Amino acid sequence: MIRPLTGTARIGLRYQFAYRSDVLMAVLALVAQVFLLRMVWTAVYGERQQAQGLTLEALLAYLTLANLQAFAITPIITRIAHFRIRTGMVFFDLSRPTGYLPQLAAFQAGHTLGGLLLMAPAVPVVLLVGSITPTAQPLGYAATLILGYVISMMMSLLICMIGFWTLETGAISLLYRLISQFFAGTMVPLSFFPGALGAFAQALPFQYMGYVPAAVYVGRLTGPDVLQAVLVELAWIAALTALLWLVWRRAHRRVVINGG
Amino acid sequence: MIRVESLTKVFRRPRTFPGVLGSLRTLVTRQYEERVAVDDVSFEIPRGEVVGYLGANGAGKSTTVKMLTGILTPTSGLVEVDGRVPWRERTANARAVGVVFGQRSQLWWDLPLIESLRLVGDLYDVPADRFTASLRRMRDLLGLDDFLDTPVRQLSLGQRMRGDLAAAMLYEPPILYLDEPTVGLDVLAKQAVREFIADTNRDGRTTVVLTTHDLADVEALCKRIILIDKGRVLYDGGIDALVTAYAPPRRLVVHLAGAAEDTRTFDLSGDTPVPELIGQIAAEHTIRDLSIEEPGLEDVLKRIYAESAG
Repeated sequence: MIRPLTGTARIGLRYQFAYRSDVLMAVLALVAQVFLLRMVWTAVYGERQQAQGLTLEALLAYLTLANLQAFAITPIITRIAHFRIRTGMVFFDLSRPTGYLPQLAAFQAGHTLGGLLLMAPAVPVVLLVGSITPTAQPLGYAATLILGYVISMMMSLLICMIGFWTLETGAISLLYRLISQFFAGTMVPLSFFPGALGAFAQALPFQYMGYVPAAVYVGRLTGPDVLQAVLVELAWIAALTALLWLVWRRAHRRVVINGG
Repeated sequence: MIRVESLTKVFRRPRTFPGVLGSLRTLVTRQYEERVAVDDVSFEIPRGEVVGYLGANGAGKSTTVKMLTGILTPTSGLVEVDGRVPWRERTANARAVGVVFGQRSQLWWDLPLIESLRLVGDLYDVPADRFTASLRRMRDLLGLDDFLDTPVRQLSLGQRMRGDLAAAMLYEPPILYLDEPTVGLDVLAKQAVREFIADTNRDGRTTVVLTTHDLADVEALCKRIILIDKGRVLYDGGIDALVTAYAPPRRLVVHLAGAAEDTRTFDLSGDTPVPELIGQIAAEHTIRDLSIEEPGLEDVLKRIYAESAG
């Protein structure tokens, strides 16, 4: 039964287009951010050829890509679910013949697709500002990015579930966004993180939303490292699936027992 | 069609403590507060009937509706809708049931109305030809054409409610739960909603459970009402019988002539000789106008709610 999901995805896409002026502003902010990062990092590098094995060109390409990806991946469902739980509109989502989590996931997928369509015209500008050249590992890049997107989606679904306990998830969503963007490596590549912080970042799943695919693109990760990244991503997806299933069962029972 | 037997729902919530420290205590407390929302309720509704499900605010009406839709499980008792237990066969039950809440909308706020209706068609997998036919009926009956392409946030309350009714009935469920569908609507919009419900129920196609505080809705649509109070069934039967059983006395209202507005009312219990009473009043005062007020459903409910509260 795919039609309920494509229908919901269409709503997600239309929702993105209903706010297209917001998207334009966000794209402008993205271009500005990439431009500022370029200035800062150019000054930091100075006369140096490279740092931590990264040339300035590779670093700039990396940062541009990581930000572009993080921007495209940014979840909407945490806000949607929060609003609908708080207003009781979630009643309608729960009374559909289709499951609640598939509905949220489909909405997010449609919304992301809408975002990609809207930002498409800006991509050449961003690529130019970030001086990005084609990658030598298109397959590895696509695989790590798509799996990273799935991980991001599942993390967002987990955040959505919190609303069934606390009703108020605005602050949690904001915190999640800050933490996930930082540990995805959108400001500083993960390989620059010192000792314990680096190990901590490596242990978290956020790197797969930014750092890992971008590092594959610029050739920082190659061959067996890419394969290993894909395997770890698959393991994360398996673990998050189990966790999500457990949390959803408890959340659903909570609704069923305590009311909306 | 709908069978409810000894249905009981007890909500159990962690005890809340006042203050900032109290809210922390609430998080870790093992003390619970119990509230009985629905208490041993039984009724049966045959196919094609329109039943008014009435009660004061907080009487347990919405909780019952949520159990009928399968969103809530009962603490004890039995519910069967179309031969199914709603929360066990949630998906099958979802297809058989349409729900409208006057206070909440299922329409997507920022999108044109037609988008929400198309989504409903997709979610319930309504075949294209049936969707078109069903939508045409809704457009005619509810006059949707004027605002089908308008974002829902720009609709008036009456238009929004018509959109919600369309969304609930597009997949032609045999059962419709309406929770205060006319709340806040003007007289014309109320009329449109009532006509739609009456038409939907024509030929006994759809069973309707109507929860409302607008008794004109009930008088226009329902032959039978179920009255609940504090979670219990207080009355189940025809409206006429209820009015007869609980009716307060008729009242004689007399407007007296004079500079100031002077109105007096007299209760007419069973055997008061009305002509003599009027004669007495006329002997002492000059009567400008007089009328006898017949008690209606509203007076009956006012009396029942007041007795229950007191």
